[in-house]
Amino acid sequence: MSDSIPTGKLARTGIAGGALLKAGSRQLGHAAKRPFLSEPARRDQRLQLDDDTARILFQAFSRLRGTALKIAQMLSMESNLMPEWFRREMSKSYHQVPPLGRPLVRKLILQEFGKTPEALFARFEPEAFAAASLGQVHAATGQDGEELAVKLQYPGIDVAIDNDLQLLRTLIKPTRYAKLMLSSVDEIEQRLHEEVDYHQEADNTEWFRRQLQLPGVKVPAIHRDYSSKHVLATEHLPGLHLEAWLETDPTQQARDRIGQRLYDIFVHSFYGLHALHADPNPGNYLFADDGNLGLLDFGCVRYYSADFVELIPVLLRAYMERDAKKVISAYRRLGMVAEMGEDELQAFYDEVLQPFGDWLTKPFKAGRFNFANQGTSYTAEGWATFSQLAKVRKINNLANEFIYFDRTFFGLYQLFERMGACIDMEHQWLV
Amino acid sequence: MKVSKQEKALTRKRILRAAADVISEKGYKTASMREIARRAEVGDATIYNYFPTKESLLYGYCEEKQRDVAEALTQIETFHEYSLREQLQQLTETELALWLPDREFLTQVFTLTFSAPVAGAVNLAETRRLFNRMVEDMIDAAIEAGEIPDQPYRELLAPLYWDYFTGILAYWLHDDSQDFANTTQLVDRSVEIIATVLQTAMIGKALDLFSFLFRSQISRHLEKLGDYTGPWKKAKRRFMEGESV
Repeated sequence: MSDSIPTGKLARTGIAGGALLKAGSRQLGHAAKRPFLSEPARRDQRLQLDDDTARILFQAFSRLRGTALKIAQMLSMESNLMPEWFRREMSKSYHQVPPLGRPLVRKLILQEFGKTPEALFARFEPEAFAAASLGQVHAATGQDGEELAVKLQYPGIDVAIDNDLQLLRTLIKPTRYAKLMLSSVDEIEQRLHEEVDYHQEADNTEWFRRQLQLPGVKVPAIHRDYSSKHVLATEHLPGLHLEAWLETDPTQQARDRIGQRLYDIFVHSFYGLHALHADPNPGNYLFADDGNLGLLDFGCVRYYSADFVELIPVLLRAYMERDAKKVISAYRRLGMVAEMGEDELQAFYDEVLQPFGDWLTKPFKAGRFNFANQGTSYTAEGWATFSQLAKVRKINNLANEFIYFDRTFFGLYQLFERMGACIDMEHQWLV
Repeated sequence: MKVSKQEKALTRKRILRAAADVISEKGYKTASMREIARRAEVGDATIYNYFPTKESLLYGYCEEKQRDVAEALTQIETFHEYSLREQLQQLTETELALWLPDREFLTQVFTLTFSAPVAGAVNLAETRRLFNRMVEDMIDAAIEAGEIPDQPYRELLAPLYWDYFTGILAYWLHDDSQDFANTTQLVDRSVEIIATVLQTAMIGKALDLFSFLFRSQISRHLEKLGDYTGPWKKAKRRFMEGESV
């Protein structure tokens, strides 16, 4: 097992994490191959193995910094294969400050602007106040007294991404869910490469700031003077991250109001702008005292075709009416190619699509949906149907747009559940 | 005409700068004292008052670099607030930043030092002393502040860091990644390990173990280690006397 890790890569990607991953993958490979076990013992073994998988991944990731942390976060969002404690630990790491020490901060600013942080800014906090995608955020004051949030990218992260992903693939291969997880990793890789370019993110942010005019929603202004490919300076918005905000024990009214804002942003961006802020991780929202919502981190934005935007309500309507023909024809028009005969397709609809549709449209049927009040967690139910979808091998092509759309939807629902919010869902989703 | 001390220092610097340029361009072997003198705008004879040999220019420049690094570190206002890990990383990064314009030159130094290790070690003694003094200062301050425990064989730590740093330089000289990102990562991660090692005073513990097992072998080898004798002698005495720490 250990032979399959290219040593060149290992040597480059660093010491602690690399070795740990290597040791971990050997252990997993070993456990996965154990042959002489009775059926119950094997089942126990598998559960144990899942737990071990998560534990080893978690250990390795928490030692590596930068990409690995990000990948782990994405995987934990992505996949219901990870045990609950793993997802919980990972969601904590969203705003845990990773140790990008002062020497590297200094080096980066010098490299990008030819000045030390003290010279560039009127004030620069050497300690980061939040972690961000592939970097960390520092508070600073500009030369004209403007309060800034300065996002710094880990130096050399672009180089590290490929190496880390290669290691990750090697680690995943012997596990039980290799196929499913590896396909996630491919998408994650693509996204990481997009997110590495802060110029792109600055453009996205400015676009949303111009276009997204909703009451109570704030998109920070970009300060180009202090921004570069690896540094992004924005206006410093007030507010707390989700967990911290929840600790202040907000009223039900406040929860509902701000949850509704999140939902309205989603609906409005999709229908009005044909674009989604497609990274609904809790670290990307700021909850302010006055009920305003700050939107951060436009590294992952997806733009949708007019056709897609038009077809989504058709699909939802078909799901609500439980009309197999309409559902399938909507999927076809959205670009899904399934290699199945009519009968098989009908069975697929009955077994997989309809349960998914029932789950999906439940809140719409309710009109006003209380995410706090679900006996079994609503999103947990969703995971089950979701993973059914992911297992279908005969769907060769599902529009890429779909993946992000679903994920954003899902991420939002998870947020609502965490907030215990009650949301008005009767929108123009349905024609 | 009497030349003031200050002027002398400036001339010295100018000659070293010129030497670095000429050696970078032409290579050590083909660079001539005459050309260096001309580039530095000093007389053909004057240069010998400052540097008797071409070799002394080569190593003189390395020493000068250490003084520049020390100076650059004192320019960082909050440097004393840095943790030991941050200080060591800053030292390494500052070295790399200041060596960057002279990467070619450094390659020459490496080639010469590796082809004649003994002579190289002797010639670099002063450079190493200056470097080690910076590291010792940082470690001493960290111990005094209680950031790390007192280190057994403390006098060995700076020479070890020097060896580590030489390795980093060699890696850097072969690094072809953009912005030398691979070196940055290597430094970032390895310094963390070093900090952990210091935190646990592991080197001392490991050495104690080795001293128990290999006392005689080590001492025999120590005799041959010419240049490290200062610190090693002390360490050796400690080994031999089994002095507890």
